[in-house]
Amino acid sequence: MAGVLVGVGVRMANGCTSGHGVCGLSRFSLRSLVNVLAFMGAGMVTVAVLRHGV
Amino acid sequence: MGKLIAAASGLIFGLGLIAGGMTQPTKVKAFLDVFGAWDPSLALVMGGAIAVGSVALAIAKRRRIAWSGETMQIPTNTVIDGRLIAGGVLFGIGWGIAGFCPGPALVAAGSALGTAWIFVVAMLIGMGLHDRVVKPG
Repeated sequence: MAGVLVGVGVRMANGCTSGHGVCGLSRFSLRSLVNVLAFMGAGMVTVAVLRHGV
Repeated sequence: MGKLIAAASGLIFGLGLIAGGMTQPTKVKAFLDVFGAWDPSLALVMGGAIAVGSVALAIAKRRRIAWSGETMQIPTNTVIDGRLIAGGVLFGIGWGIAGFCPGPALVAAGSALGTAWIFVVAMLIGMGLHDRVVKPG
């Protein structure tokens, strides 16, 4: 289930932690920064909900 | 020679992911757990990678042909749209549940770490599903 979400997400946004995160931010790409903030934020919220039931 | 360079690059990248802790879902989830016992160390991994990567990419931008012999392809897309953000959010939710992102999941699957294979198969299904339902980017 989580894998399917990751698969759809990286395809839709054209990149992942390595693609947008490392390569994109290394190029100072604003597009990549937006994507990184989106997945970091969603990841943090997900962990918060699963672990702490916020 | 080109294939050798490609293989060496992959080897270095994979070893880096293992050494940095990116292939351990518990470590990744601890990084995302900002409201609990937050472990910020992966931010240093990413920061270090970007520090090295920005130098490497500055050099790469000036080359037409990569060391692997292929034409250098640096992304030129600067569009910030809904699918970029929606894709990021979907990916982030999956990342938070599993603790795997695509690169490290492949490395973990290669190291025969239990659930990584299942994750990779599901990820491939997700990618195929996206291309069939939504149009490929």
